[in-house]
Amino acid sequence: MPDRGGPREMLEIKILKGLALATLLLVAIGCTRGSTSSRPPIHPNPNMDLQPKYRAQAASEFFYDGASMRPPVEGTVARGELFEDVAFHTGRNEAGAYVASPIPTDAELLLRGKQRYDIYCLPCHGDTGDGRGVLYERAQIQSGNLQEARFHEMPDGQIFDTITNGLGLMSGYKYPIPPRDRWAIIAYVRELQKEAGV
Amino acid sequence: MSSLDLDRSAPHPPSREDEDSAATPRDTGGRLYWRSLDRLLDSPAVQEQLAREAASEFPAGASDAPDQVSRRTMLGIMGASFAMAGLPGCRRPVETIVPFVEGPETMVPGVPRRYATTMPLGSNAYGLVVESQDGRPTKIEGNEQHPSSQGAASTWMQASVLGLYDPDRSGTPRHRASGGAESESAGEAEGGHGEAEGGHGEERAAGGGGAEPSTWEDFLAFVQELGTELDATEGAGLALLTTAHSSPTQARLEAEMAVRWPRSRRVAYESLGDANLFRGCEAAVGSPCRPVYHFEKARVVLSLDADFLNHDGESLANTRGFARGRRVEGPSDEMNRLYVAEGSLSLTGAAADHRLRVPSRQIAGLAAAVASQLGVSTPAGFDAADLPSGAGSKIALIAEDLRSAGAGALVVAGRQQPPAVHALALEMNRVLGSLGSTVTLHEMSDTAYGDAGDLAELVGEIRGGEISTLVILGGNPVYSAPGDLELGSALGQVENVVHLGLGIDETSSAAGWQLPEAHFLEAWGDARSADGTLSVVQPLIAPLLDGRSAIEVLAMLVRGAEVSGHDLVEETWAPVLGEGGDKAWRRVLHDGLMADSKAPEVAVGGALQIPALEGVSAEGFEICFLPSSATYDGRFANNAWLQELPDSITKLTWDNAVLVSPATAVELGLRSRSGQGDRVRLTYREKTLEAVAFALPGLADRTIGLVLGYGRSAAGRVGTGVGFDVGALRSSAAPYFDGGLQVEKAAGTYPLSQTQEHWEMEGRPIVREATLAEYRSGHDDLDRVFGTFRNLDPEKSHQPFGDFDYSESPQWGMAIDLNACTGCSACIVACQSENNIPIVGKEQVARGREMHWLRVDRYFSSVDSEVPDDPEVVFQPVPCMHCENAPCEQVCPVAATVHDRHGINAMVYNRCIGTRYCSNNCPYKVRRFNFFNYTKDTPELVKMAMNPDVTVRSRGVMEKCTFCLQRTSEARIAAKKEGRAVADGDVKTACQQTCPADAIAFGDIRDESSEVTRWKKQDRDYVLLAELNNRPRTSYLAKLRNPHPRWSPESAMDGGAGGGDHA
Repeated sequence: MPDRGGPREMLEIKILKGLALATLLLVAIGCTRGSTSSRPPIHPNPNMDLQPKYRAQAASEFFYDGASMRPPVEGTVARGELFEDVAFHTGRNEAGAYVASPIPTDAELLLRGKQRYDIYCLPCHGDTGDGRGVLYERAQIQSGNLQEARFHEMPDGQIFDTITNGLGLMSGYKYPIPPRDRWAIIAYVRELQKEAGV
Repeated sequence: MSSLDLDRSAPHPPSREDEDSAATPRDTGGRLYWRSLDRLLDSPAVQEQLAREAASEFPAGASDAPDQVSRRTMLGIMGASFAMAGLPGCRRPVETIVPFVEGPETMVPGVPRRYATTMPLGSNAYGLVVESQDGRPTKIEGNEQHPSSQGAASTWMQASVLGLYDPDRSGTPRHRASGGAESESAGEAEGGHGEAEGGHGEERAAGGGGAEPSTWEDFLAFVQELGTELDATEGAGLALLTTAHSSPTQARLEAEMAVRWPRSRRVAYESLGDANLFRGCEAAVGSPCRPVYHFEKARVVLSLDADFLNHDGESLANTRGFARGRRVEGPSDEMNRLYVAEGSLSLTGAAADHRLRVPSRQIAGLAAAVASQLGVSTPAGFDAADLPSGAGSKIALIAEDLRSAGAGALVVAGRQQPPAVHALALEMNRVLGSLGSTVTLHEMSDTAYGDAGDLAELVGEIRGGEISTLVILGGNPVYSAPGDLELGSALGQVENVVHLGLGIDETSSAAGWQLPEAHFLEAWGDARSADGTLSVVQPLIAPLLDGRSAIEVLAMLVRGAEVSGHDLVEETWAPVLGEGGDKAWRRVLHDGLMADSKAPEVAVGGALQIPALEGVSAEGFEICFLPSSATYDGRFANNAWLQELPDSITKLTWDNAVLVSPATAVELGLRSRSGQGDRVRLTYREKTLEAVAFALPGLADRTIGLVLGYGRSAAGRVGTGVGFDVGALRSSAAPYFDGGLQVEKAAGTYPLSQTQEHWEMEGRPIVREATLAEYRSGHDDLDRVFGTFRNLDPEKSHQPFGDFDYSESPQWGMAIDLNACTGCSACIVACQSENNIPIVGKEQVARGREMHWLRVDRYFSSVDSEVPDDPEVVFQPVPCMHCENAPCEQVCPVAATVHDRHGINAMVYNRCIGTRYCSNNCPYKVRRFNFFNYTKDTPELVKMAMNPDVTVRSRGVMEKCTFCLQRTSEARIAAKKEGRAVADGDVKTACQQTCPADAIAFGDIRDESSEVTRWKKQDRDYVLLAELNNRPRTSYLAKLRNPHPRWSPESAMDGGAGGGDHA
């Protein structure tokens, strides 16, 4: 018969087991999500959650602005960004004059335009383009009323240029909205103007 | 530890009989394959190691904890930056998001973009396409449009991204008020060779000998004042020392300098340059020109000491063409034939069909002898008596073979050979009719040669007190100049020394102005490739530190004003672009080069001028300086990827050794031990150096190969004190090879870390090789030709877990053509860069803990079992085989390694608990284990070199090749978004993409038309260890050689015959 130890040893084992269980419990409680501490949760297993590499938009102590993302060097051209179609990318032709939209309008483009408009333009310009979006409701700041005649007469290219580079209080949207979507928004704005009977 | 005596008079018979008699080495076409001399003779040390490996899976000592000292060494390598956002206690770390305030138009966070740029290396320029992750360059690949890279990138090019993020780069200009250099610190840079351990690190950290931080404004004020002073004397006393280059902008600025200061000196120096080639061509043709080789058209190639596949200038384009000329898809295909005459063993020699082991000094005579057989009049100085014995019949045979190839013949001379040999090679090509076909001569402009003779002249002037201001733009001449010039101490005599360099190195320690240089990935510039194509250097990122490029500093000097690199380059290009203007410029930036800007070909009329041959002393041993495949000439010494990259031939890491042939080792009484080398003392031209010897078969006897680029005293945390500074022995009169070396055994041994013995496959025939003739004649019975077993009969093989489910496309597979592979190791660095593979350090490599997912096995082979003087060499890249019946998966207790539906044997890192059972059960030894947290102390800058798409693994986790899972996933997602199937060529693995020989095919093996399927259908296709029924997805195409049918091995040349009376 194997020697399983006396009662004293048995007790010690029980105490040890109890301690281990208590520790586990504490860790389990500490890691529970939803606790109200302002400190980050306890994280006993590093699990390669934090790796010595930079993911998109990560912070970096190395650069003066604290960002690991760097803007491209001015004047460089990336692969696939030759942009030889100047009108499509700037709204102006080679001579510098504003152009009409180079993209043929169809239902799909309008749908895309509405979707993008609702995301980026609607908060200021309103859902009908009257310049009375949430900004007007809350702060009584009137944005450009796209139903006005001057916007109706404005060439597509000029609207494209405004979306790209901004105007007055409006900032440029070239970063979040790719060129094709800008043209889609313009097509949708034209549709809004039609509806408003301009 | 037991030792091995390389006494050939009493060879140990290979005692190790494999249990599986079908798998003994001798069954592979009567050849014996071995990985190292120890292995061939089965030294007790290796047997012991193999026994331990069999028992414990990893090489001996791999699981032992490192001792205190070595642990510290490793920390030193990885940078002791504990500032990395560590784990504060055990709380989850807080991560912040820092978006752009005003983002650039075309950037989407997390979506990589690619830019074309150019890497200048000496007078060569290689077009690259660099992947940029959120504006930070992370991965370098070749530019397919560029003539010099053709889509491939070498180890140095790929690793240069790590050089950009080198934490030891200098950040601000520094100035030492005392003016001239303290010769003491310069002397220190030159001294201390042979001491691998040294406290140079601390010295370095103090910052280049007492220089104070300064600013670029101060420097500009200094050069403005200097400029006005120099105007009075027309520039007398001013010297400019640059590296060899081919930059039109730099050439233009140098011309401006010559106009403003006519009496100034402008000198270029390159430690390993093409000056001999350029001088030879100029002498032969009469005007500056350089040859471009078209190996794809060549049928018979003779290499005169040329390493055109690896270390010579245009190796990428050469390898592409050469491999194309050896592509065999069936028995009716033709293959080129390569003859190589060389003193050391290069990758080109390894690829040869016939290799002549000739001391470097006899190459010129050999060239003249072949030339005279071809009808070229022998040049002055030719001594017919000084030819290797027994060479006569071979010379006749080579000449005959060349003549029969006519316009398909090609003779190439190596850059270390004197100009006369280059002229001879050109003349042979002209006589053969191959000039204009396999080799074209292009006019050369804007190119600085970088001749050692010019530097020697400059040093003479410095010693004569003629130079008061020396501006050194780039390079590290104090280290890389031949030791006899004592440049470091000479600089002490110059009043103003300005040095522009990436870090604080040996040269900047001797300079009054230490300027930080902008890396080519952060600077504007331009360069001409070998055929003259105009290429543009486009920055990927704004200078990380406050660096300026060489052209910017030159403009400051010459114009007394700061002009941006962009403007300087545009000034040069505006007249070239002409009408095209901005649109054409954007096209140039997009492509990385200007289309159709090749330099015109030089018309060659009659016979070329051949300079006289100069005899080289045959006394003593021959000293022969070789480029390092890791550090080149030392400039990449602080690059850990390259330091840990095993040398293609010796498989040494973190060191250079004195290479000797086995016979010479016996003569000198040197012994080879596993992991230890005997020290030797070298005496040459009154200089002495003690270093470690390494016996390498294939070298000419009594030729001593010295690998440059090590023993840096101020390289940085990685490269300082690694290896031996053999450059100190170099003489400016004979910078590549010379006689008169004395060698003797010194006391003591030195540890060497070699990857050769690790991951041994127990001598089973895993490389297959035959001659083209055997392949053709034995085509009906390839089992006999290639070895005893072929792929298993699927009817007979038992599938314990059922057949693999092929229902879903794509099913990834890989094929590797051993016939194309040259062993250049570019794939290893590509994999390292793509997959965030850690560096472990010399001591860890010695324990078998290197982490490379892809290794390139090098086998020597010979027909007898004696230590051969002249073995053949075969390379075999071994990544994970991605077996369908993966043995690793069956033993993992936590299912951390599993198959995905596309046939990839994937690792789930977070599940891995580190039992290492999988590695134990892997017959191919391709799994790597993180014994330590090798990436824990990654410096902030080096983190930027990591690929964000790949996990950086932690301690205790197994890892291995994933078939570049991130790339296959990206392609699958892209195809799905476009609503189509993944097309062939959508995915290129990192190793495949960079391979200059196109030796790797990867794709969907379900797709009948894909390239990989076409390769796998070839009859040379085989899988490793097919008898295990693992069903690997990676297969190999057997290697073929194309020997001349009348070449008799019996009269094999004795490499030492010309050397003297020893035998």
